[in-house]
Amino acid sequence: MGVLIGPRVIDAGVSLLSVLISPVPVAAGFPSPAQDYFDGRIDLNEHLIKDITSTYVVRVSGDSMEGAGISDGDELIVNRALEPRDGCVVVAVLDGELTVKRLRITPAGVVLQAENPRYPDIRVPTLSELTIWGVATRCLHHV
Amino acid sequence: MSKPALMRHMPQIAHVDVNCFYASAERAFDPSLEGRPVVVLSNNDGCAVTRSPEAKALGIPIGEPWFKLAPRAKEWGLVALSSNYELYGDISARVMELLGRYSAWLEVFSIDEAFLGVKGTPAELLTLGHEMKTAVRRNVGVPVCVGIATTKTLAKLANKWAKNNPAFGGVCHWDSVPAEDRETLMSRLSVIEIWGIATRLTKRLNARGIHSILDLSRADPVMIRDRFSVVMMRTVLELQGTPCIPMEEERVGRDQLIFSRSFATAITTAHDLRQVLSVYGQQASARLAKHDLQAKVLTSFAATSHFNPNDTSFPSVCVPLPMPTADPVILTRAAHALLPLIHEGVKYAKAGIMVTDLRPTGNQAPLAVFENPHEERHIGSLLEDVSRKYGRGSIGLGHAGIRSGLDWTMKRDMLSPRYTTRWDELPLVKAA
Repeated sequence: MGVLIGPRVIDAGVSLLSVLISPVPVAAGFPSPAQDYFDGRIDLNEHLIKDITSTYVVRVSGDSMEGAGISDGDELIVNRALEPRDGCVVVAVLDGELTVKRLRITPAGVVLQAENPRYPDIRVPTLSELTIWGVATRCLHHV
Repeated sequence: MSKPALMRHMPQIAHVDVNCFYASAERAFDPSLEGRPVVVLSNNDGCAVTRSPEAKALGIPIGEPWFKLAPRAKEWGLVALSSNYELYGDISARVMELLGRYSAWLEVFSIDEAFLGVKGTPAELLTLGHEMKTAVRRNVGVPVCVGIATTKTLAKLANKWAKNNPAFGGVCHWDSVPAEDRETLMSRLSVIEIWGIATRLTKRLNARGIHSILDLSRADPVMIRDRFSVVMMRTVLELQGTPCIPMEEERVGRDQLIFSRSFATAITTAHDLRQVLSVYGQQASARLAKHDLQAKVLTSFAATSHFNPNDTSFPSVCVPLPMPTADPVILTRAAHALLPLIHEGVKYAKAGIMVTDLRPTGNQAPLAVFENPHEERHIGSLLEDVSRKYGRGSIGLGHAGIRSGLDWTMKRDMLSPRYTTRWDELPLVKAA
């Protein structure tokens, strides 16, 4: 790889859509009374993504997290930079797959808990034996 | 002596690069690839351009054609993937953005490596190196190694050492390593291992008794300049610890854009090539507009395969544009200047256009006579709007809009999902 990149890859990462809250359009010639109050639209990136370099969006497959309000087909916003703590919903690597579970860190050990009684907990002696891929911060639930 | 105190404040250079970048980017989203031999294939699934350590251990050489590997892939458990440029581009941008937080002085050197200006005591520099390594691994998800030294050439060498010697833990600060160890390393490595020295130069250096990196570092810079080049002299000085290759900020006014592809199936008619060039003309227009740039010159080219010496043709034409423009109509028309040079029946494996002599839009208003009717109607931005809304290829200018015959686009049969740039290809996490 010997040269400065010339034509650069420009496609940005997954970007969430802005939600439109804008002043009403107004016929030419008459200034909008709302104009002075318009500071720009709500930008979901700004509110949902703390750090763009460490945030990914993933899609859930399965119903083991229903109790946490996470359904099959929902999207999760996952921040890899966050410290996984007791009670977090995390994406962990289990058997070569990305899996979403609730993390429980207790004196007795570490548990990856499903939020659906039909699914068993997974116990590991220590956190270091577990690969936590990231911490889920939001669920984009389809209503 | 006040030298140690001075040294402490001397800026040094950190060279950071991602280990097996393409394979690592794939693994970040597909943990099942961890520990397995993985190769990423070049355009059109031609040959292995990236190998995971496991694939290297199988003895697969870089550039090995896929057709030679395929028969044994199953027996090896080898996973082959097409180049997922969307994914690699995004991961690269994330790595660079993150590294930029550690130094205001960042030079993005290629898709997977960067130089950073850094300062501090040896202990502080080592800590910084480990911090960067940990942050990229954790936040973005790919492994990097870091080499830190007083010159770019030594920083690259230190990085290589960090990669190949697990004792470093992925970070090597050149000056912190005992001098005799450095000399041992340099005496073991051939000059070909140095940044910027090609095979041909290696032979010439060997003829002068310069075989190892240590030999070169001990050579007389003036002799090297006289017998070889100023560039080679700089390498010698850099190996001796004198910085000669300055840090470059990212070039803001990039002076060229290239749109070029190899075709999955060769193009043999001017008719098909017209369509290809139309698409590139339109892409160039969109890219220029996005960066508020206009081009003054367009070069249009096609080429037969290098692997087919009996049927060679490399037509190219350089078209000076009447005035700087990003207009898709004008760019496309200029690109078509190549068509009269095309021999029907010849198998063209590659074609492209390059726009050069770029300048910012709207520096000076053109005289009315030279005003461009297409630009006035904002055709470029209209095409871009429609493409953004309905997808690439949904609208096209003239021949770029023809719906059929898009079989010249890149062959990527083993493409992984574009996990980070496509909403319908997000990574799946199991809730089961």
